[in-house]
Amino acid sequence: MPPVSQTVRVKVLFFGRLKDVVRQSEESLYLSDASTIEQLFALYAGRIPELAKYRSSVVASRNQEFAAWDTLLRTGDEVAFLPPVSGG
Amino acid sequence: MTAPLDHNDVIELVREPIDPLPLVRHLRAPEDGAIVTFDGFVRNQSHDRATLYLDYEAYESMALGKMREIAAELHEKYPIDRVLIVHRLGRLEIGETSVFIAVSAPHRAAAFDACRFAIDTLKRTVPIWKKEYFEDGAVWADGELPPAPLATPRAKPAS
Repeated sequence: MPPVSQTVRVKVLFFGRLKDVVRQSEESLYLSDASTIEQLFALYAGRIPELAKYRSSVVASRNQEFAAWDTLLRTGDEVAFLPPVSGG
Repeated sequence: MTAPLDHNDVIELVREPIDPLPLVRHLRAPEDGAIVTFDGFVRNQSHDRATLYLDYEAYESMALGKMREIAAELHEKYPIDRVLIVHRLGRLEIGETSVFIAVSAPHRAAAFDACRFAIDTLKRTVPIWKKEYFEDGAVWADGELPPAPLATPRAKPAS
């Protein structure tokens, strides 16, 4: 593992149909410094090509707040990928 | 950012059946003159297919935060007294209440407007999803993509 100073540890959550596509709901992982939410999604899309087609119908959150795709991640962040919501 | 919860408001995610009457009773206060409620319940069909049941899941910590934000926004926008928003999760049968909203106010107009705003905003912004089960399979319901910031403001240094 690279030195801790050059990595950020994040928790990643998937919900709804994204959870079905990724086949897991939660994972903790280390990213290189200066990773964005977009890069994190791309990392999963690289692993699971089917995920890429959902990119335009996903919003992301960081620490329970909706977040822009260019958000830089910090260690301890909780990132979630959220498909269109259908509560009510 | 978690919105502060007005001490008289009730914001909950529950797994048991929702019984509206005690909830409404809890909201009644002598200084008010009206309560408007919204009772959303499970329909027996979707797009002309017979629904067997629904299964709701939520990003619970964020969903509660967003529901509290809705309550806070209602208090800012409308002259109302109390807000109650309860959403059920898990498996729900036909006819069971999935969401119950009640707003009390001294006068009816604000209560009607606030209740409508609450359910419309909940359906657009609260991270809850329903899966619809039919005779021949299950699908995640079409939903609405919540509005999210397009780019991060760069003015403030990272803290």
